[in-house]
Amino acid sequence: MTTETTTYESAVERIEEIIARLDSNQAGLRETLELCREGRGLIEFAAGELDAVGHGLEELRLDELIQRLETDAPAVQT
Amino acid sequence: MNGVVRSQTGEAGAPTTVGVPGFPGPFAVGRYAARLREHMRGIARVCLIGEVTGVKIGAGPNVYFELRDADGAIPCAMWRTDFDRLGLRADELRDGSEVVVAGGCDFYPGSASASPRFAFRVQDLRLAGEGDLLARLARLRRQLASEGLFEPQKRLARPRLPRRIGVVTAEGSAARRDLLAGLERRGWRGTIVWGYAPVQDRRAAPAIAAAIRDLAALARVDVIVVTRGGGSIADLWAFCDETLCRTVALTPVPVVSAVGHDVDRTLIDDVAGVCCSTPTHAAETAVPVDCLAAVAALADAARRVDVCGRAAVLSRARELAGRSRAPREHLARHRAHLHQLARELRAATSRGRADRLDFQRRIAFTVMGRKVGAARRQTDEQRTALGGRAAGLERAVQADAGRRAKSIAAHAAALRAHDPERTLERGYALALGEDGQPLTNAAAVRGAHDFNLRMTGGTVGAQVTDLEKEETK
Repeated sequence: MTTETTTYESAVERIEEIIARLDSNQAGLRETLELCREGRGLIEFAAGELDAVGHGLEELRLDELIQRLETDAPAVQT
Repeated sequence: MNGVVRSQTGEAGAPTTVGVPGFPGPFAVGRYAARLREHMRGIARVCLIGEVTGVKIGAGPNVYFELRDADGAIPCAMWRTDFDRLGLRADELRDGSEVVVAGGCDFYPGSASASPRFAFRVQDLRLAGEGDLLARLARLRRQLASEGLFEPQKRLARPRLPRRIGVVTAEGSAARRDLLAGLERRGWRGTIVWGYAPVQDRRAAPAIAAAIRDLAALARVDVIVVTRGGGSIADLWAFCDETLCRTVALTPVPVVSAVGHDVDRTLIDDVAGVCCSTPTHAAETAVPVDCLAAVAALADAARRVDVCGRAAVLSRARELAGRSRAPREHLARHRAHLHQLARELRAATSRGRADRLDFQRRIAFTVMGRKVGAARRQTDEQRTALGGRAAGLERAVQADAGRRAKSIAAHAAALRAHDPERTLERGYALALGEDGQPLTNAAAVRGAHDFNLRMTGGTVGAQVTDLEKEETK
């Protein structure tokens, strides 16, 4: 499930589905174990996404960013 | 005016100016300019509404400014006396003010030393009221809606947890602080790209549009927030700019607008993906996930997944263990049942044996009783027979005893006749050796030397004394 197309939203949505399925007690043992493995992977992915926006606020200025891009552009061409 | 102005060339041999084929004239420019002024002034007087820019209130007789909107501009001039009569403060007619002007076109033809000038001669002026702006806003809104420009932003998916947010606002504004505080409260600490732009003058709309375009194209942001604090509709008019709104509508990155307060509704609010009432609200909309709560929720989810997984395995293991015990318990039940049956069987057997023994005992008792009776009867019969026989035997014994007594008496008499004692009684003596054996001849007596003589009435010792005489003989 944790492929390149996975987003935080899809991961959380799938985790909620997995927990609902597990709470229903209708899943067999094999399905339960696979859901747990998938759920752990998605939780790890979502935690990584949260971690990425939890370390520290970074502030950039658009004008400086554009200036930097314009400065770097010739260097790239050469 | 074609054909109105005639060439003033002389007819008395003076050289005639030659025009251009297909075009009347040439005409003297001054006269043409005068006629142009007359024509301009003949155009109907109207009211215009627009944003004031380039206000020049000097010492001259005129006040100059431009009236501008997204589609064009017109230079305006107002006699200073008319302007002063309005009673406006100097700061009320400033760049960015929305005004309604009344007047008509005018043209100053200039002179040999003065440049000509076109202007809309303003005879009356008032600041645009809310009604004026709202009417204009309504027209723009209908126009953009008819072009379907309210929808594109609404169809864009907004990430619930953006890593990079672009913000267009005024540098150092309260809106900036409120937005940051809102993001901080949600625990969001990603990357913000600030696209600072003026938010309240004629430069605002183009600068805001440029910032939005650059953020979407260059800054790789996940969502763009456009925000400023509250104000009158005139103050917020830049956010009703048609070009800006078209830019927002066609931006491929979701735009969250938070312009003014809850009661303010600018056009950018209609074309943006989401319209928020305040910068704080915009922060919550840009980052729908409360990061702090989400971390806790994820921890809870992880715990629930672990618990469910463990419970699933344990429940199955218990079930299996229960099933593995079932045969043993089944056997134990059967074993207990068998033991019970065995006990009952033993009990039944004991009772049966006792019954049988009792029965056999009773049979044996009866048989033995009968046998005893028979034996007794037989014994009695035998006793009776034996009694008879005993009597006969007694009689036979007694008879035999009589006979034997008589025989014995005869024998005794015969024997007594031969008894040595009877000989002894007649004076004979019996020589007996020391061993009691009779010494039957003289040699035996001599050999014994000492011997006993048994006679009637007793035994006396004797000794051979004439041994030598005898031997001489």
